[in-house]
Parts: sequence; structure tokens; C-alpha cells
Amino acid sequence: MSRAGARRPGLWLALALVVTGVWQAGGGLYIHAKAALAQALLDSAWRRSRAGEAVRPWPWADTWPVARLRVPRLQIDQVVLAGASGRTLAFGPGHMDGTALPGAAGNSVLGGHRDTHFRFLARLKPGDEIEVEPARGAARRFRVTGARVADQAQAGIELAPDRPRLTLVTCYPFDAVRPGGPLRYIVTAEASPAAE
Amino acid sequence: MTAIDGTVRPRGARRDAPAAKRLRSTPFVRPAPRPAWRRLAALAGFFLGLALPGAQAAEPARQEVRLGDVTAGRLLFRTTEPRVYLPAPVVMTDVRMQVGGLIARVTVSQRFYNPTDRWLEGVYVFPLPEDAAVDHMRMRIGERLVEGRIKPREEAKAIYERAKAEGRKAALIEQERPNLFTNSVANIGPGEDVMVQIEYQQTLRYDAGGFALRFPLVVAPRYLPERPGVATTVSQGGAAAGAEDDDPARISPPVLRPEAGAVNPVAIEVTLDAGFPLARLESPSHKIEIAEAGPGRRVVTLAEGAVAADRDFVLEWRPETGAAPGLALFAERLGGQDHLLLMLLPPERPLKRQAIPPRELIFVIDTSGSMAGPSIRQARQALKTALGGLRPDDRFNVIQFNDATQSLFPEAVAASPENLARAGRYVAGLEAEGGTNMAPALTRALASGGTEAGRLRQVVFLTDGAVGNEAELFALIHAGLGESRLFTVGIGSAPNSYFMRKAAAFGRGTFTHIGAAEAVGERMAALFAKLEAPVLTDLEVEFPGAERVEAWPRLLPDLYQGEPVVLAARLPRAAGRIRVTGKFRDEPWQAELPLAGGRESPGIATLWGRRKIEALMDSLHQGAKPEEVRQAVLEVALAHHLVSRYTSLVAVDATPSRPGDETVVRREVPLNLPAGWDFDKVFGTQPVQKTNWQPVQKAGLATMPRLAAEATPAGPVLNQLPAGATPATLKLLIGLLALLLGGLGLLLRPRRRAAQGGAA
Repeated sequence: MSRAGARRPGLWLALALVVTGVWQAGGGLYIHAKAALAQALLDSAWRRSRAGEAVRPWPWADTWPVARLRVPRLQIDQVVLAGASGRTLAFGPGHMDGTALPGAAGNSVLGGHRDTHFRFLARLKPGDEIEVEPARGAARRFRVTGARVADQAQAGIELAPDRPRLTLVTCYPFDAVRPGGPLRYIVTAEASPAAE
Repeated sequence: MTAIDGTVRPRGARRDAPAAKRLRSTPFVRPAPRPAWRRLAALAGFFLGLALPGAQAAEPARQEVRLGDVTAGRLLFRTTEPRVYLPAPVVMTDVRMQVGGLIARVTVSQRFYNPTDRWLEGVYVFPLPEDAAVDHMRMRIGERLVEGRIKPREEAKAIYERAKAEGRKAALIEQERPNLFTNSVANIGPGEDVMVQIEYQQTLRYDAGGFALRFPLVVAPRYLPERPGVATTVSQGGAAAGAEDDDPARISPPVLRPEAGAVNPVAIEVTLDAGFPLARLESPSHKIEIAEAGPGRRVVTLAEGAVAADRDFVLEWRPETGAAPGLALFAERLGGQDHLLLMLLPPERPLKRQAIPPRELIFVIDTSGSMAGPSIRQARQALKTALGGLRPDDRFNVIQFNDATQSLFPEAVAASPENLARAGRYVAGLEAEGGTNMAPALTRALASGGTEAGRLRQVVFLTDGAVGNEAELFALIHAGLGESRLFTVGIGSAPNSYFMRKAAAFGRGTFTHIGAAEAVGERMAALFAKLEAPVLTDLEVEFPGAERVEAWPRLLPDLYQGEPVVLAARLPRAAGRIRVTGKFRDEPWQAELPLAGGRESPGIATLWGRRKIEALMDSLHQGAKPEEVRQAVLEVALAHHLVSRYTSLVAVDATPSRPGDETVVRREVPLNLPAGWDFDKVFGTQPVQKTNWQPVQKAGLATMPRLAAEATPAGPVLNQLPAGATPATLKLLIGLLALLLGGLGLLLRPRRRAAQGGAA
């Protein structure tokens, strides 16, 4: 009897650990799954957006596709959503309100999660080509000119550059385990002269 | 701050190389979606999204700008991009209110500054009280003062556009919603100051023995349910989109951040002449300073000077006991007619508990995303209080809604201790997220299928009213009300009181506004007193010489305890007596009073006009012909110089100020904001700073240069970036670790058991 009682806590602890493990790992996988699946779902909304209507990808969404982001070298092809809130970024990279629309004059700032959609930022190199196709108008090409790390509250991203610019922002460092740090990784790309 | 200097180019890329290398070795790279699994993925994504909208809501991210987002009033600069505007820094808002008796005359002045070196056109969106009779607008540019004139909306727009093309300065005030206006200002020169001054008149709310004055400083983002074209853009120049009455884009200029208005400092001064000795004067929303200027006269200012425009300003006052006016009558003679504003307070009936018939109370609580934070806590608390106020013979149910509608019980149940306990747990667990799909919840709450005869059916609706489809909902209430009564309870610091007041009016109930969390108990108690006390119904007013009298509203609403009859009338000569009759359940009530001798007060005619317009607009929800309503409203609005849905105020400068060879540049305009403009206050994710407000020009450059990697940081900069990480890795790590440990534990067990089995 007493031996059985002594045995129990171990069983419970192990079971609790397994349950917690499944729950936590599931939660983590779920974030990735959602990030990937949402992009697929967004694809059709994007097509309809291209056809001229502003489309919510699912009826209760509070965002809609504004552009398509492609990096040929890394085989990246993502639908960019309006707004860069946490809710939006779970589904795709987001265009920061108040900055130029992708492809327009000015600096267009896109944000994304470092561990899902914008993980590829770490692999970008100066000179890489980024193509942005806005919901309306022709696609525009940018070339990566550089990257830097800055505190999010003092990023000092210029809004009125002389040439159209694309700025991609994600959290830094890339392999940090805990989310929510103050640092941001900021990639700057200038419009390719050829595409002007 | 170990920020890496980013004058990068090739060198910086090398520096970042290690991070890139580390990453390449990790397996988690999202493959490009392939057609083969797309359909399945889309389906799965659909359900995932359904289950988890706002799963990331916990992140301290920027609040998304949704359609229907409008902040406190601000000047926006149009850009080449259809949906992109940039705000001009609001230098200062100054609100001056003259309150006399029942009426407030308010002047709102906002000074803006064009910081660019271009000629600009600004669009300014601002909230006003829902019953504001806006009758004056003037624009001051530098030293020039231009008075606004009232015109039919299309004509005003045409005048404005012409002036804009001719290089004249012009301003145009249009009404988008009864409580939401836009002001467009054309040809603001480089470095010029623009002052926009709006004047309006309003009737004060009197309820349960006290007066309340509310000045909206924030308009909560409106939720517009799915509708074709919802996300369409304001067309370039903004003109084309203006014609549609319900075009969400009109009330949803893509303002950068909903809370951005928080930096707008507002100064408020109220000169109060109550007309009776005051027992209490206070503001539940702001700290105020009160200076006495005689008996019943006070000058109220904000204790902290200019404050951030982050919540509505509310001022409440109460007469000394016995000093409350049972009757108030104001008069203005204009155009050969007498205009009267009459307030009559029916006597209170003593509350006999045993006389209260059994009720069915349906509580509906808004759990949409806009209610997140203090609002949902307030609502939960209010609901808890409400449940506590139920009597054993009452029946009740709780319905919550966001995207979906869910009710606690399939139908109303007895208020037994078990049911109440269950409801209490349900309410405590309510969380706010998702959209605001109000119509199904309303339909459900009003569906009174199972109600026994003889039961009072009362629907208590707790929401912030952050909806943009008001008209649809009014029509729904009007059509579906039946024997139910709808009581709206406004939650949060800036509820859409137009919606809630009107919804309660159509629902023949009352609107209760809970301004602050501390007020929940008091306000809900007041509401419950109303729910229980007998209602004054079948109200009618008889005027002498009735055929020449035009009184608004045509049909008087039922009155709950503490509510006055408020009536605006126009008649050739105010003489004789009027008779007001009604019924408290079966007991008749009547009052008679003289019409002559009203206190002479300017602006009563305007208020009469405003009430007539309101009644006409309401008739639209009850099936009146739009064209007839339009004609009638036009007539009143033009006669009384009032802004309405069909009339606008337009001011045009006599002399052109913009040289012919310069154009109103919209292109690149937003990109030329001033150096030193504190962008992170405008774009930032920081919570509202109530006391820590700094002048807009102060910050900015000082904090930015050492990190500046962009070419020439002389231009405007964007600070405050979105959060860019999910807790996925953290969760995975914790999960795997736990699995490993747990798995090991389980694996080790059988051996032990075997050992034990052997021992046994």
C-alpha cells in the first residue's frame, strides 16, 4: 500500500509532463502551421484582390492582401497583409500602416515574424532581388542594400527617401527563444534603376 | 543599447553573416505553397483561423488599423496612394462650452500647421456629440478669417473643389454620421497655420436627478460586417467616394493608429450657469478644477491643463435636493414663430416591490475584440451586478457575441441559485476577441418565443457599440422588438453613444453610460431601479391650436424613472397651456402648464431644427421614402444653417493664395513631414501617456540620430516597429523538454512494476 502510494507521484508527474509537452509543442507547431496554411488560403484572396476588389481572406478577417513579396533567389513567395499587428502577422507579413504602399514612392515598411515568414531575412544578401507586386499596378523590383539592427523604439526609419525603398523588419536575434525583445533586424532595399 | 551601427552596405552584411549561417542549418524554412496541397491547406487554414482568430492577441503589437477606424479629430494629408494619408501634427485643441440651463453652446478650435514646403490639402475627421447642431464653421489662415456657409452637400462639394482648383483656400464640413464629421481644407501653404473653428449647440441629458455633458474626444474603431467593397479606397481627390452615404471609407480614413489621437492635447473650459444651487459637480473622466462665479455658476477647467485626447470628457452636476426643476421652458422668437424647448419631469412613483410583475431578463454582452482590456472587465462586473439584482421569480439568460453568437441557456431559465451560480461562472470566463457581428445577437435576444404572457421582457445589452452598420441594426430592432424592451449599457471610455442612444430609443428602453469602472455599481443600480419602477407610457401632448404647431419628436418615448419629457416645438405664438398625459401602468397621469413666459434663449430655433432633422432621419429606419426625407431635411437644414447628412458648411477665401504655377502636390506629400516631428508618438506602440505629454515638436531628432542608418535622417523617420516573433520556438522547446522528461519517466516505469510484480 505505502509502496503503491510512493509510486503514484512519479506516474502523475510523468503524465503531466507528457501532457504539457504535447500541449506546448502542439502550440508551437500550431503557430507554424497557421503561418504556412494562412499563406495558402491568402493566395486566392490575393488573386481576387488583383482582380480589383479588396478582399478579406476569410469573412471575419480584419486585414486583406495588399501585395505579393517575392525573393527569387530564396524561392520566397508571400502574400503581404494590411497592417502589422500581432494578429495580422500570425498569417503573413504585414504592411505598416502609414508607410508608403509597396511599390509606391516613399519607404514601404513590411514587418514579419522572425521565426515564420520573415525567417528568410537572415539569408538575404546585399544585391538580392526582391520583387513586390502591389494589389494595383505593376510589380516593382528592389535590390537589398544592407541591413542593421536597432532598438524598435528608436529605429529611425526614414519615411521620405529620394528613391522608392522597401524596408523589411523582423525581430532580432533570429534564434532567440523568447519573443518580445526590443531589437529589430532591418533590411533595406532600394528600387532597382533598371525597373524604373 | 548595443545597437549595431548600420551604415551598413557590404560591411554590415558581413557582420550579420553569422546569424545567417546559424539559421541556414535550422530546418524550419517554410516551403513555397504548392498547388497539390493548396486546397487541403486552405480548408484546414479555414478551420484553424476559425478556431483561433486573434491567437496572437497577447503580443504587445501595434493595434491594427481596421476599416472603420477613426480616431479623435485630426488633419490628414492626402497622398498619391488611395488609402494612404498622413496626419498633420495637431498643435492644440481648445474646447469652450457655455452651459446655461438645458443648453450647451460649444466652440471647438483646432490649430494645425503645415510643416511641409508644399501646398497641401488636409482632411480632418472629428467626433462631436450625436445631437450636436453644428451651425457655424470658420477657418482662420494666418490673419484671414473665412466664415462658412450652409449649402446642399453636392453643391458645397462643388464649390470647394472649384476653389481648390483656383488656388483659393477653402474649408468644407460634412457630416458622415450624426456624431462624426469631416473637414477638408484646401491649399494650405508651406509653413502656414490653419485654425478650424466649429460651433455647435446641444441639449443636455437629464436623468435620475442629474445633468450630464459629454464631449467625445475619441471615436472607437467601428466594425463593419462583411459587405462587398468594404475595403475599397477613397478615390484620389476624395470626391467620388463622397457621394455614397454608407461608404465605410468615408468614415474610415486610414488613420495610422487608432490611439494615435492620444498625443493630441485638448484644453477644455466649461462655463456653467446651472440656474439652481449645485449639490454636486464632478467629472468621472478627468481631473477638474472648479472656480465659483456665483450661486449655481462655475467655471470648470482641466486640472492638468491640456490632456491627451484618449477618452471622452464627461461633466455631471446635480441640484441641491428640492432645487431640481420640475419644469424648464426656453424660448426663442425667430422668423415670426416662437420656438420652444420644454423639459418636464414627471413625479417619481414610490417603488412597490410586490407590485413588480415577474420579468424575463436577457443579458447580451459584447465580447468582440474592441471590448478587450478594461471594457470587458467593466462589462463582466456590470453583468455580475445585474445577475445579483435578479429576483427568484425572474427568468433570465445570458448571450454573448463577437463573430458568433452564443447563449448560456437554450432559453431563459428561472433565477435559481444554481442557475445564477452557473451564469456567474460563465460571465467570469468571458474573454473579448474577434469581430462585432451584432445583428444575430440582437435577433436572438429579441426573439421572445418562449416568454409567458404577463412577463415583462427586458433585454439588457452591454456593448461599446463599435459598429458601423447602425442603420441595419436600427431597422432590425424596429422590426423585431415586439413586446421586448431594449436597454443599452455603454461600456468603455468612448462608446458609440449615437448608436446606443438610438438603439434604446427604437427599443423603447433607455441608455445607460458607464464611464468608469468605479461607476459600475452605481450605474447598474440606477438601471435596475428603472427596470423595476413603473414606466410612463402612452405619452401625449396637446397644444392649444394644435394644427399650427410642429413639435418634435412626434411620438414621445416611454419614460423610465427619473427621465424627463423633452420636446421642441414651433408655433406662431406661445400662449395658452399645454396638456401632457400618460399612464403609469393603469394609472393615468397628466400635467398642464403655460406656454408663455419661457426663458429667452438664443439657439432654441436651431435646436428645434436639429430635432426635426433627427426625427426625419429616424423615419428612414422606419420605412420613410429617402427622397422625401432628403427634401424635408434640406429645407430645415438650410433654413437653420445646420450641417446634416444632406447639407455641408463651406468656406472659400475670396482671393487666391496659391500661385498659379504651383500645384497642390499630393504626390510625396506624406513623405515630407517635418524634421523633429515625434513620429513614435504618432506611430508608436506606447500606451497612452496621460500626464507625460510633451509638445509635438520637442522630441524626434534628439532620440534618433545615433541609430540612424538611413541615408539622410533629416526627413521624417518611423520609430516603433511591429513585434516580429512568435512564441513558437519557446513553446516547442518547453514542449519537447517536457515530452522528453515525461517519456523517460513512463519508460522507466514498467521495469519498476516488473520488479514489484516479482517481489509480490
